[in-house]
Parts: sequence; structure tokens; C-alpha cells
Amino acid sequence: MAAWDSFYRQLVTLEGYKNVLKGLLNTAYIAVFGLLIGMIIGCLLATTKILPQKKWYVKALSRFTDCYVALFRGTPMVVQLLIIHFVLFPALGIQISSVIEAIIAFGLNSGAYVSEIMRGGILSVDKGQTEAGRALGFGYGKTMLKIVLPQAIKNVIPTLGNEFITLLKETSVVSFIAVVDITKAFQNIANSTYEYIIPYIVLALCYLVVVLIVTGLIKLVERRLRAGDRN
Amino acid sequence: MIEIKNVYKYFNTLKVLKGVSTEIKEGEKVVIIGPSGSGKSTLLRCMNLLEEPTYGEVWLDGKLITPPDPYLHREVIEASKTFVKLFGEALEQNPDANEEELRESVYLSIRQNDLLKRHEGRAYRKALKAIAEENYVDINLARRQMGMVFQNVNLFNNMNVLNNLIAAPVGLKLKTKEEATELAMKLLTRIGLADKVEEYPQKLSGGQRQRIAIIRSLCMEPRYMLFDEPTSALDPEMVGEVLALMKELADDGMTMVIVTHEMGFAREVATRVMFMDEGVIAEEGTPDEIFRHPKHERLKDFLSKVL
Ligand SMILES: Nc1ncnc2c1ncn2[C@@H]1O[C@H](COP(=O)(O)OP(=O)(O)O)[C@@H](O)[C@H]1O
Ligand SMILES: [Mg+2]
Repeated sequence: MAAWDSFYRQLVTLEGYKNVLKGLLNTAYIAVFGLLIGMIIGCLLATTKILPQKKWYVKALSRFTDCYVALFRGTPMVVQLLIIHFVLFPALGIQISSVIEAIIAFGLNSGAYVSEIMRGGILSVDKGQTEAGRALGFGYGKTMLKIVLPQAIKNVIPTLGNEFITLLKETSVVSFIAVVDITKAFQNIANSTYEYIIPYIVLALCYLVVVLIVTGLIKLVERRLRAGDRN
Repeated sequence: MIEIKNVYKYFNTLKVLKGVSTEIKEGEKVVIIGPSGSGKSTLLRCMNLLEEPTYGEVWLDGKLITPPDPYLHREVIEASKTFVKLFGEALEQNPDANEEELRESVYLSIRQNDLLKRHEGRAYRKALKAIAEENYVDINLARRQMGMVFQNVNLFNNMNVLNNLIAAPVGLKLKTKEEATELAMKLLTRIGLADKVEEYPQKLSGGQRQRIAIIRSLCMEPRYMLFDEPTSALDPEMVGEVLALMKELADDGMTMVIVTHEMGFAREVATRVMFMDEGVIAEEGTPDEIFRHPKHERLKDFLSKVL
């Protein structure tokens, strides 16, 4: 019970829970805003692949997307994080908090994955839907916005949810650039007590609970959407 | 009037349309028949530019909806470098010839032998641009005039019946939501599906879906309706209700172009029947001429299979 006592002392008496909560919040910030940025970047990138590949600048943009995706999927997240923190931002003379750096790094990274997801989602919508929209006189943009995208988004919600969960778990590497996330918070507790079992098991449980909650929310959204048109 | 002028359509090396010319006049009901793969759908889709012709032009009510085809405009050909060169050579060789006749023969030879190159000089570009500008119409505006009904229906899956019907007139700001809903309800009532107004397409039968797709087009109050095998994907017991609605439309005076394998319907409704074979209009005429007195061997063969 000594292990438990010292964990309790760290967490409650010495107010370690404050750090844990702060860490949890940082984890949430990085995951949520990372995904938001990722969705914006992903949608833009996917657009370059979906547009009719006729004009030279569309082709160029589409090439750029290929490179972007290859780059961010072909290197480990930690390496990207380290490069942004230790190489890119110092070189550009940008000084911002590490949390924001982490958000940017995860946003850029998940942009690559989201773009592939969105592209797949848009391609999964039957071509007939676009044709019917165009035949009625909708332009390309309106057809996309009113007809294709709503269906594409519905199709990709489960995959996007998975992407979010992956992202959430992957944020545990941000301690590499000295961000105190929930992993780092528990690591600190473990290191100061030399008791590792309980802090790390509690940490795992924390991730598990958060992931289960997120999974539940995704299911709820999915069901809502499906109730919308009883597919 | 829809005018199709010398339309060719290639998919890479596959030549699907090989020079189709025809006119769809106000009030006509043109039925297009022909074996599978003969280019019927492609021709129909060229009319509203869902497919862009490789060569040739499509005109809608005197406006050009495709880019101009240089070969169809003598003034464009005569402005080309190739023409100037060939005409100069021809003049040299036959100094005594009638100049006008010579122009004509050079023009015809360029047309017949596809002699225009990619770059034909400034005068040529200018002549082409002048035609494009003079006859320009926004394709999205042109398409509002032509409703299209697809073999696989294509109701919008993310919208209920009412929203399917009012999406275009409201989304394109042609009608207020109230006006559009009123027309939609009127049409729904007419086809006896007013109680389905809140349903999503997935919940309807094939025949109901196709009839709603037809009135979705009608909600745009088009002047032409294009049908691409509207009953081919339906269960047999639902074909009748869709054909009946199309018949009603025809009786109301709608101008229609219909690709179908329903020969009975063609006979009853068509003012003109067009037989397509291997990318050309092989034969056309009144239903009587086509069904009773077919001339072409291929048409006789086709009819013996489908009748
Ligand atoms: N988008 C396309 N890409 C390539 N080939 C096509 C395309 N659309 C049609 N085709 C081909 O063109 C030919 C004619 O097609 P279609 O016009 O649909 O014939 P029909 O409607 O008379 O059966 C077919 O061989 C078909 O495979
Ligand atoms: Mg067809």
C-alpha cells in the first residue's frame, strides 16, 4: 500500500492533480485544435485533388498535395515535432509557446491524413449525384457544397473519428518539446516517487476513458446523421 | 431548338460519336433507339454538356454552349495560316482560275482533311473568339432550360423529397422557398405522392423515385426534357407508372428527347424516331417509317431483336 500512499500524496496532498489537469487540458487542446487545423488543411488539400485537373495551376497544386502527403506520412510524428521545434521555428525566428507549436505540428501532420480521408469520402459519393446537380444548373462549387460534401462528410465521420483518436493518443510524444501533457504529468509523479506502476496504470486508464468517451460521441453523431436520412 | 452540328465524341481512342447532326425543334418528341454502346447516352449527354464533344457544336435556342468548332465556320478557316498558305499555293498553280471557286475548294479540302493545326495565327484566334463571344451563354444558365432524367435516377440522397424538388429553384434563386414549395406540392399531388414529401429517397420504390426525379426537373420549369433510359433500371411492374407520367408530359406539349428500349412507348409518343448505330444516326423518321418500313439492315436486325 506504500506505493498507493505515495501516489496519493503526490496527487492530492502535494496538489499533483493540478498538473495532471493542466496536462489533460494540454492534451485536449493539442488533439482538438490539431484536428481542426488538420481538417482545414485536409479539405484544402483534398480540393486540389478533386478539382478537374485541367488548368496548369490545379495540376501544380495537386502535385504539391502529393508531396505534402508523402512528406507527413513518410516521417514519424516525433521527428516532425522535433524539426518544427528545434529547426524550423528557430530558423524562422518564431517564438511561441510549445503548446501552440505542438498544435501546429499535429495540425500539419493530420492535414495529410485528413486530406486522404476527405478525398476518399468525396470519391465515394456516386458520380450521378454530381451529374444530377450540374444538370439542374448548379455550378461546380454549389454542387460540391450542397450535394457532394454533405454526403462525403457523413461517409467519413467514422474515419475522421478514428483519425482523432489516433491523434489524441499520439499527442503523448509532446514531452519531447517540453510540453506538459497528461503523459508528462504522470511521468513527473512517477519520477518524483520512484513508484512507476500506479502512475502509469492510472495514466493508461485516463487515455482509455477519454478514448471511450470520444468513441461514444462519434457513435452518437453517426446515429444522428443516419437518423437524418435513414440510409 | 437544340441544334447538334457534326458532333464527334472520343473517349481517348474509343470513337463513340462519329459526326452526328440533328435538330430538336420546339414541341418535338424525339425517341432515340439503338443497340447498347451505340452512343445514345453520349449523344444525350452532349446536349447538356455533361459530356463535352471532341469536335462539333451544340446550340441551344441560338446560343452556342460548346466552344466554337473552327471547321464549322468558313470565316475562321479562311483566317487560318494554313488557308493563307494553301490558297497562295493554289493561286500560283492555277493563276487563271476563278478566285472564288479556288477559295471554296481550299476551304473544303481543309475541312475534309482536318488540315488545321494547333496554332493558326492571330487572325484565326480572333475570328474564333468573335464567334464564341457573340454566341456565348453560361452553361449553367443553359442547363436550366434542359431537365435531365437519368437511368439510375440520382435523387439527392442527403435531402428529403421536398428538398430534392426545391433545391435547384431555391438554391439558384429563381424562386422563393414558398413559391418553389407550392409548385413542388402541386406536382407531387399530381403524381399522387404528396404524402411522401418528408421521405428520404432510400425509402421510396424505384418507380416513385423516378417519377420524383422527373418532377424535380419540372420544378425548374425547363423547355426541354432529356430522358436517358428512365425505365431501364426499374422493376417491370414500375415501368408503367413512369411511362404514363412521361406520356402526360408529352401530351402537355413538352419538347422531349428520350433514349429508351420501350418500343411501344416510342411508337405511341414519338414524333420522330432516331436509330443510332456505331456512333452515327443510321436512320430516322416517323415511328411508322422506322417500325413498319425500316430500310437499314442493322435497324431491321435491331427491331427483330427488341420487338
Ligand atoms: N466516360 C466514359 N469513358 C469512357 N468510355 C465511355 C464513357 N462513357 C461511355 N463510354 C463508352 O462509350 C460507348 C457508348 O456509350 P453510350 O453512349 O453509353 O452508349 P449507349 O447509351 O448507346 O448504350 C460505350 O462503349 C461506353 O463504354
Ligand atoms: Mg446508355
